[in-house]
Amino acid sequence: MIFLTFEHILTHISFSVISIVITIQLITLLINETVGLYVSSEKGMIVTFFCITGLLVTRWIYLRHLPLSDLYESLLFLSWALSIIHLFAYLKKYKNHLSVSAITAPSTIFTQGFATSGFLTEMHQSPLLVPALQSHWLMMHVSMMVLGYAALLCGSLFSVALIVITFQKAIRIFGKNNNLLNALFSFDEIQYINEGNYFVRNTSFFSSKNYYKSQLIQQLDHWSYRIISLGFIFLSIGILSGAVWANETWGSYWNWDPKETWAFITWTIFAIYLHTRTNKNFEGVNSAIVASMGFLIIWICYFGVNLLGIGLHSYGSFTLTSN
Amino acid sequence: METHFIISSKMERLILNNPNPSLSKPFLLKTPFLHSVFGHQITPRTAQIRSFSVTCKNKASQDKKLKNVSNKIVLSEAAPPLAEEESDKSGNAEAEVKPGNGSGSTKLVKRLPKRILGALSNLPLAIGEMFTIAALMALGTVIDQGEAPDFYFQKYPEDNPLWGFFTWRWILTLGFDHMYSSTIFLGMLALLGISLMACTYTTQIPLVKVARRWNFLQSGETIRKLECSDILPRASVQDLGVVLMGAGYEVFIKGPTLYAFKGLAGRFAPIGVHLAMLLIMAGATLSATGSFRGSVTVPQGLNFVVGDVLNPSGFLSKPTEAFNTEVHVNKFYMNYYDSGEVKQFYSDLSLFDLNGKEVMRKTISVNNPLRYGGFTIYQTDWGFSALQILKNDEGPFNLAVAPLKINGDKKLYGTFLPVGDVDSPNVKGISMLARDLQSIVLYDQEGKFVGVRRPSSRLPIDINGIKIEIVDAIGSTGLELKTDPGVPIVYAGFGALMLTTCVSYLSHSQIWAIQDGTVVIVGGKTNRAKVEFPEEMDRLLDKVPEIIEPSHNKLKNNDA
Repeated sequence: MIFLTFEHILTHISFSVISIVITIQLITLLINETVGLYVSSEKGMIVTFFCITGLLVTRWIYLRHLPLSDLYESLLFLSWALSIIHLFAYLKKYKNHLSVSAITAPSTIFTQGFATSGFLTEMHQSPLLVPALQSHWLMMHVSMMVLGYAALLCGSLFSVALIVITFQKAIRIFGKNNNLLNALFSFDEIQYINEGNYFVRNTSFFSSKNYYKSQLIQQLDHWSYRIISLGFIFLSIGILSGAVWANETWGSYWNWDPKETWAFITWTIFAIYLHTRTNKNFEGVNSAIVASMGFLIIWICYFGVNLLGIGLHSYGSFTLTSN
Repeated sequence: METHFIISSKMERLILNNPNPSLSKPFLLKTPFLHSVFGHQITPRTAQIRSFSVTCKNKASQDKKLKNVSNKIVLSEAAPPLAEEESDKSGNAEAEVKPGNGSGSTKLVKRLPKRILGALSNLPLAIGEMFTIAALMALGTVIDQGEAPDFYFQKYPEDNPLWGFFTWRWILTLGFDHMYSSTIFLGMLALLGISLMACTYTTQIPLVKVARRWNFLQSGETIRKLECSDILPRASVQDLGVVLMGAGYEVFIKGPTLYAFKGLAGRFAPIGVHLAMLLIMAGATLSATGSFRGSVTVPQGLNFVVGDVLNPSGFLSKPTEAFNTEVHVNKFYMNYYDSGEVKQFYSDLSLFDLNGKEVMRKTISVNNPLRYGGFTIYQTDWGFSALQILKNDEGPFNLAVAPLKINGDKKLYGTFLPVGDVDSPNVKGISMLARDLQSIVLYDQEGKFVGVRRPSSRLPIDINGIKIEIVDAIGSTGLELKTDPGVPIVYAGFGALMLTTCVSYLSHSQIWAIQDGTVVIVGGKTNRAKVEFPEEMDRLLDKVPEIIEPSHNKLKNNDA
């Protein structure tokens, strides 16, 4: 019982602290950069990190197995992984750290908030491990998958940000050009936007604002590439260890189970992303579009399949709790 | 003007073996072999040629100096002094996407196989294939798989097509009712496999050939044009070499020039990833064509022959001697949590060979299969086969138990003990229901609940004058058997894939430097960590000591 109370307290601390962090970040973003506020938001993230760690450790102790067996626990783990990414960027003192935290902190709050919201409350009760989950592979497979999801979500959010920024710019240029050349067919317009884009990229060195913007775009591009590469490693290891586990439990290393299939689709999409990166023609916006598709697909893979509660991976899905 | 050339490996060896670097000069500068291309495009610059002669001038004095500086530094006698610009250009695979672009019409016929290869290794094609495969897989999870045709007739009727055109005709014609074994899907996978091979052959292996040749840049201009460059006043390349070595770089120094690299494995690893994918595909093909599968439900105490259960899956499936093994289920039991939920299923199995000799005995459970002679036995399911009861202290009788409702892991079994006239049309009796082997719920002739008994309790229950004692609940174990010759290959592919994807994260960083008087011009580039690399380079260059004494002035002779 003491564990449950402790867990409850930690959940609430982490959630409120991270809400404060987000508020502070919004203030710094909207008003101006205040050093003191920024430092306190960093401290807040550290506190959140320790709270979630404590939460996971508590569950681990009183359940006597790694807290990775159902959706609620994997969500907790996901927010933990996101805060790890955040702290990693913070400790490495990357220059663009603020943009990293702008992605990771809200992601953490969403997962944490969703995990602790009433929607899933009935799932907080300590679940018992079904026979198939009693394996050492559980830790390896699920932790790698969730780490992979966290990194890929983060990286693809960078790409979404890149698209938004680039697209804004395109709209502005498009607007300008439209005034000059009124009669343009839509196809020409698209081409023109592309040319305009290219033009801006070339001339950006002359205009300081555009220079910073293209710098930011480059940084986003680079970071989404690096984080997605990292997530891709985790995802690969996760899928492969899952396949080995399936061969021990279900009798085949690949069953075309919906969750498996969607994980493979995710893997394929991010493999496409990594391949687009090898070609200069596809770099930038094109690869970012692929990564944004990946963002949606991760959510389908992570939630959608469980929502339907189909296939062999239906542990802790919504249907099971209603039974 | 663009020319294609690649130095033959033979020539390279010749240069490598040459103990005197100054002798190698006439060979390589005059021998651009103008065939054998995969499109390393170079713009012929003569800068290297110019400076080369210069570097050899003070060879004796430099060698002496090098030895003084550090015995850790690898002397570059063996390194070919090729300043190939093409390796700069082909940092990524992009240069090779469209091979044969600059070829003349006479070479067209000769190059036809290469053109096909080129078309197959085309990146947009590969991306298209991957997208198609992803889309087909997604479709496979949306459309219910493996149902009878009637199911599709109802769900995708012709008079009300999905999205205006999608009816059961599409599904059944294209084989989407069994997506993952349909011709289209397998064909796409095969095409992707061929693309993988073509890409590895035409793009990646030539890249290795280029990347393996370390090279020195001989002009400060070239170095300064690199992605990331810096100028160090009052420094020496030797000091820089030591610093770089400390940071894990492989350092080569030749006269006033320095070349260092790190993470070369990161450049080769993508080939490994592709090969591992091919290995997995090959293993999966073998699995699909050469395996046996089968499942069986065996009541406790009975036995079966392995070969009777296994069904071949493809034309490569060949039965082995181990198929004559007889499996005896000694015991089937379950463990429960305190809350009553099933914790684990166990089957105690004995294996007997043709002579009736027990060759193996093992208790298997979920996650803990039995492996013998190439086949594997998995614990996958369970059932309730019979209920052993005493009726008024007579018996024991075995009542066959039938499954009433099977919904995933939640099962319900029932049996019936007729009471009174068995031949009458509406025979009445005692019903017994069970969710698992733990407890049996009993109902009387009128369907009213009487009580719950555990099989092991030996506690009789009285139902309208009939004394029933439940002696035992006999379960049956659901076993899955398979042989899969593809597993070792697939596992090898898994291992290789994990390793190579990890290594692929490494960034191949290269640093060049040239001593220009007391000034060292440093430049570098990397293929992945494009933001971290400049930071790392800044940090490393800060460590390079500044030389105050004028003893290094004689180095000035080097630059002419």
